[in-house]
Amino acid sequence: MTNVLLLIFTISLLYLGIAHRLLTYIKILAVQGILLFGIAFIELIQINAVNLTLILLETIVIKTIAIPLFLQYIMKRNRITRDTEPFLPNFISLIIITLIIIATFILSNTITDSRISRIFFVVALSTLFTGLYIIATRHKIITHVMGYLVIENGVFILSLAVGNEMPVLVNLGILLDIFASVFLLGIFVNRIGDELKDVDVDQLKSLKD
Amino acid sequence: MISFVLIILASLFFTGIIIRTKSITSGRKGPGIFQPMQDILRLLKKGAVYSKTTSFIFQIAPSIYFASVITAIMVIPLGAYKGIISFEGDFVFFAYVLGVGKFFNIISALDTGSSFEGMGASREALFSMFAEPAFFILMGSLALLTGHSSFQQIFNSLHFGSSISYVLGILATFVLTIITMVENSRMPFDDPKTHLELTMVHEVMILDNNGFDLGLIFYTTSLKFAMYGCLIANLFMGDFPLYLTIPIFFGMQILFAMAIGLLESFTARFRMNHNAQYILALSSVSLLIFLGVLLILGLFN
Repeated sequence: MTNVLLLIFTISLLYLGIAHRLLTYIKILAVQGILLFGIAFIELIQINAVNLTLILLETIVIKTIAIPLFLQYIMKRNRITRDTEPFLPNFISLIIITLIIIATFILSNTITDSRISRIFFVVALSTLFTGLYIIATRHKIITHVMGYLVIENGVFILSLAVGNEMPVLVNLGILLDIFASVFLLGIFVNRIGDELKDVDVDQLKSLKD
Repeated sequence: MISFVLIILASLFFTGIIIRTKSITSGRKGPGIFQPMQDILRLLKKGAVYSKTTSFIFQIAPSIYFASVITAIMVIPLGAYKGIISFEGDFVFFAYVLGVGKFFNIISALDTGSSFEGMGASREALFSMFAEPAFFILMGSLALLTGHSSFQQIFNSLHFGSSISYVLGILATFVLTIITMVENSRMPFDDPKTHLELTMVHEVMILDNNGFDLGLIFYTTSLKFAMYGCLIANLFMGDFPLYLTIPIFFGMQILFAMAIGLLESFTARFRMNHNAQYILALSSVSLLIFLGVLLILGLFN
């Protein structure tokens, strides 16, 4: 069952590559939260009840409900346009994300450590690299934060793979979520729209004596 | 043999069910489910008019297109029962026989010398090209999973043991459904009801065909739908006895037709320049099926 959820998670990464609108990104992030809830519930059923409740509440309340709603609110308040504005066409994004998945699969094959589950490793690493790729190739600041959230989901998956032995790692993964919400609050408080306006170099051209 | 007869039977009502579903979802009663067949019969009774600029290719192309699809249908099994033709590696034969039909369709469109038809032909070739790797990666992974290389053996020994193989079945259904939509030029990729030649794909290629030829092309579309429906139904049959496979077959065909009708009612068409990436996404999904198969078999350990 975990494998099923992880495969669906990987398909959501491909969808992230070809999505055109910010609203679709937000929906994908919410779906990823639900998938992470399922994976965490199945994998971490053995750890103590308080910690498990904390982790499950974090995935379902913060990842699935709070962050997407907050992102949507920021988009409305700061009047961010709905297009994702990638530097590269989505067609190339799709090919690159597919290549990332293949590359991590081959990479995982070279690692001969029997303690780590291979499919967790593949999905976590490809999520990490996809997040990095999205940060590198999208124009807007809010998309960078979304890419960071994707990276953070990848870290969470990797920590789940070893969560039964070391529950502390999962909690550390949750701390990254708080870090991401600080980013979001920064955008919220400073009313940053599509990009940072105050570093507009064009204004200097009007300085003449 | 039994699959051939059943596919022909299913093709009689398939497009009718799609049109009926679309009518009901848009609040109309709609024509009976055999109405498309009656239209095709009316067309088949007519003669054909050929333009003077066309050569013999334009005249033979619809028949070759029809014949290629009939030949492809002969390969398809029904559960444990072989098709009329069955040999090792027949899924390659299946794909390229369909390719021959498509090739003749394309050059007959170019033969008319109309600028619109050349455009449609170019698009059709591009979209089929992107759909091909998806089909081969899918069938290749199923062949790897079962260890056989003909349709009948693959579908016969396809068993759903672990939970991951259920996902493979669902993903395979998804990939085959979208391939059907691409190959038949249906809604998310092409709108069969559009009236603007600039945005057509398949419809613009048959603008000059009329009478008997047009009827043949319409019936071929219906046959292709039933053919892919049978492929999807095969994924869920295994080696069941005949009294179970026939109800499964007809159930799947009706479900598939209704699903296509619903999909066409509720989705808008993709922008033409975005089509290629959506079709290529299909290849990525089948690549995931391939990785899933490798995980099941433990080949990557």
